[in-house]
Amino acid sequence: MGALALVVQRIANALRLVLRTPSGRIGLPILLVHFILATIGPWLAPYSATEFQQPLVETQLQPPSWEFLFGTDQFGRDILSRVMSGATTLIAVSVSGAALGIALGAAIGMSSGYRGGRIDEIVMRVMDGLMSFPSLLLALLVMAMLGNRPAPIEALQSNWQNILIVITIGVVTLPRVARVIRSVTLSLKTLEFVQSARLRGEGSAYIIFREILPNTLPVLGVEASVRLSYAILTISSLGFLGLGVQPPSPDWGLMLAQSRQFLGHAPWVAMAPAGAIASLVVGVNLVSDGVKQASGLPQEATT
Amino acid sequence: MSQHALDGAPLLEVKDLAVAFHTPRGTFRAIRNASLTVHRGELVGLVGESGCGKSTLAFAVMGYLPDTADVGGSLRFEGNEISKMSDAELCELRGNRIAMVYQDPATSLTPTMRVGAQIQEVLREHLRMDAERARERTVELFESVRLADPAAVGMRFPHELSGGQQQRVVIAMALACDPDLLIMDEPTTGLDVTTEATILDLVADLKTRVNAGILYVSHNLGVIARVADRVSVMYAGQTIEEADVRDLFKNPRHPYTAGLLSCVPKPLGASGAVTKLSAIPGSVYPAGEGDVEACLFADRCPSVQDACREQAPPMALTDVGSSSRCLFWAGVRPGMWGADEEREEALPTNGAEPVLTAKSIRRFYGSWKRKYLFFGPRVQPPVRAVTDVDFTVGRGRTLGIVGESGSGKTTVARAVVGLVPLTGGENQLHGEALARNVDDRTRGQQAAMRMVFQNPTASLNPKMPVRHAILRSLKKFTSLNSRERRERAVELMEAVGLSADYLSRRPGELSGGQQQRVALAGAFAGSADVIVADEAVSALDVSVQAQVLNLLKAHQREEGVSYIFISHDLAVVRYVSDDILVLYAGHVAECGPADSVLAAPSHPYTEALLSAAPVPDPDAEPTRIRLEGAVPTLREAFKGCFFAGRCPRKIGSVCDEKPPPARTGPGSAEHVIYCHIPVDELAEMQQPGADPVDATSASSR
Repeated sequence: MGALALVVQRIANALRLVLRTPSGRIGLPILLVHFILATIGPWLAPYSATEFQQPLVETQLQPPSWEFLFGTDQFGRDILSRVMSGATTLIAVSVSGAALGIALGAAIGMSSGYRGGRIDEIVMRVMDGLMSFPSLLLALLVMAMLGNRPAPIEALQSNWQNILIVITIGVVTLPRVARVIRSVTLSLKTLEFVQSARLRGEGSAYIIFREILPNTLPVLGVEASVRLSYAILTISSLGFLGLGVQPPSPDWGLMLAQSRQFLGHAPWVAMAPAGAIASLVVGVNLVSDGVKQASGLPQEATT
Repeated sequence: MSQHALDGAPLLEVKDLAVAFHTPRGTFRAIRNASLTVHRGELVGLVGESGCGKSTLAFAVMGYLPDTADVGGSLRFEGNEISKMSDAELCELRGNRIAMVYQDPATSLTPTMRVGAQIQEVLREHLRMDAERARERTVELFESVRLADPAAVGMRFPHELSGGQQQRVVIAMALACDPDLLIMDEPTTGLDVTTEATILDLVADLKTRVNAGILYVSHNLGVIARVADRVSVMYAGQTIEEADVRDLFKNPRHPYTAGLLSCVPKPLGASGAVTKLSAIPGSVYPAGEGDVEACLFADRCPSVQDACREQAPPMALTDVGSSSRCLFWAGVRPGMWGADEEREEALPTNGAEPVLTAKSIRRFYGSWKRKYLFFGPRVQPPVRAVTDVDFTVGRGRTLGIVGESGSGKTTVARAVVGLVPLTGGENQLHGEALARNVDDRTRGQQAAMRMVFQNPTASLNPKMPVRHAILRSLKKFTSLNSRERRERAVELMEAVGLSADYLSRRPGELSGGQQQRVALAGAFAGSADVIVADEAVSALDVSVQAQVLNLLKAHQREEGVSYIFISHDLAVVRYVSDDILVLYAGHVAECGPADSVLAAPSHPYTEALLSAAPVPDPDAEPTRIRLEGAVPTLREAFKGCFFAGRCPRKIGSVCDEKPPPARTGPGSAEHVIYCHIPVDELAEMQQPGADPVDATSASSR
């Protein structure tokens, strides 16, 4: 069977529903722009992201102009180009981190909730423990302890820091997702269709993945978008603190950190990366609202 | 429409009302053309299946329709058009002149306020009473709705009251401002039969005491027969018949009314098993369709003629005060839906090979609670949901289980199929012990026992096409290959009266009746020996209920399957069952062949249940045995009789001290009654002419 085609069709259907909501109509295009920049941004950029413009004295800290749309930074690099190229790592890392957390969290939440009893109790207390770490602090700890060591496997060395960030984001995201999905599972498992699957003699794995999982998808969709926006913020913060991607690679958080010293006389240096982070997070949140509206889940507040 | 017109202008006059809701998904015509009148001092019943627009009509009268609703026609209250009133006038109207009682009493009351305070708030707001006067009036109101201990009830919170008491409080609140018009929207639908009976008594009594018009909305013909003076029948947003309650039940003048009447299983008394109920085929005309120049009932009508499809029939006067929206009303007969008199000999009571046996099964919920979470002395014992219940289901027979909510019916069903493990006792299938948990049973045992649930919508996975459950059952329980399974699924769907193209639809696209039939097809898939039906028809409209019951019966005749049929509706249980088990608080009160159990002598609890069941016959004599309160939640074993606390025929201290002996009924050795009163005395007490129950005289013996 064309399982892949089916999945693609489902996703297309879901996106169409989201596009019908006002938040989705604004949020999806924003995300689309970011996605395009993340994939082909470096090639679209008018200048190199790392190359210093010559002569330095004439090009550094230039205000926005037709030549440099967003101005230049202290090394005379074109800010537009840097912002366009900076999306790739950020989006790749945050999406993988959030996806990892969501996949594990959903699996743990559903299994634990379906299983119930003492095991559920223990698993959820462990989740509570994980949740008690502030996510940024945990990330800092991991990066400070493991970031400068060599990777256990040689092949991972070039991406070692990013891998650490992905795992950290996954671990931070996991308990929150598990909690939400568990509660959905608890109410789903009392429903008659799950009971009748049990009466048919279906195994737990089948019931969890074929009967329960499809019904958690709307919640999972909302959860995914919320977690993604948190992941983006956490990673940007790491960059800001200098623990993310190392210079001279363009990174929005890092760019923001470096721009602070010129904030008085060259505010444009801060504006572009800040705007990029904000629009990405706003886009993700709008889509999250759209998913919520489209799936008919209760809204926390009217938007 | 007339004899009432003589008494003066009607209180409420709804004329050619049309309500359409504009939604992003299209326009829904909830009401197409409804007319009715309510006069002061009369109770008008509004009856029809779900989706016919009854509640919308009630909301329209209250002026509660949202802005998206498009209202046409006229709605007059004492001659004033309601839809033209300003918000202030509406507010005045709702509080002081028109009051409404809703279906669910639990959500009509504020959970955080004492019920007395809630009523005083109404009195102070609308009648400007001072606090002292409001308090007095509240007690009077509670007295008028026959709440025991009216002064104390006011100090309670809603959750401290039983469902019946809550509904009485809601009715008291509705009566607080002496309304001229009282609208009751399914006020007893969420309640137990026994509680329903007491509320209906109250409504019948209010009717004579309160100088108001009452519009009573219900889907239950038995309830309408009990309380109404006049009845309006709605179908697909139209009022299709209006008549005096006796005329309507004796001489329906619209085929739909006749159909509704004949698809209700006949009440007790008739002997022999009925093989087939007359069901109305199809389902209600969809509200999404536009205007049609045809009779909306034409597609389901047994005597449809060409003329019916050519013009929309007008409301025709059939008699003084009655009218019908049928072109051929003169030809409508009560029996037009086919003889429901078709009967077959009852199966012999014994001799059937036992398929399933329950041996003193017990199920307790929870475990002992300790004082300090895991340590310390045990403080709270588990809840005893089912205690020592025995029964046997014979091959090809149906065991009906009845009782109020909380009596342990569902727990028995779930324990039998293995969804909740037993705490004690044993279930045996064909003499072999069954594992307590369904996951531990053999494939053959799983195939042999299937279950159909109450809520058809939740019985099917909403994200999976309809075929999913059926195909999975076939895969698990048969050796067919995948092509054969698909063919068999089509056969199964056809057997339950659905075409094959439903297989690829989502459950959400099906009506409740269709969903329940799919669930049945799934249960039939593995050629089960026993099918447990837990309130399987309770959520369905009467016409659909008849279709499902017929399917169950037909399947039993063809396959020799046994059923455990659980329902709170005695008429339905009576219709399908060969044997009946009456449960109370997890104990067997009475069991035996259906005819013996439902005829005198019976256990006082059975008697009370029978007495409470509403009968769709306005001339039926109102029965007088009423149970107050609810089934207790047990944490300790009963010292005496389990029913002693509510028994209307309690004979004295022996009931509280000794467990009741098992007594054998006169008709059959298998008929067992657990009661201290000897069977012949019970028979005497329960004779039709015997003194109605009187607890004081009974206990004096």
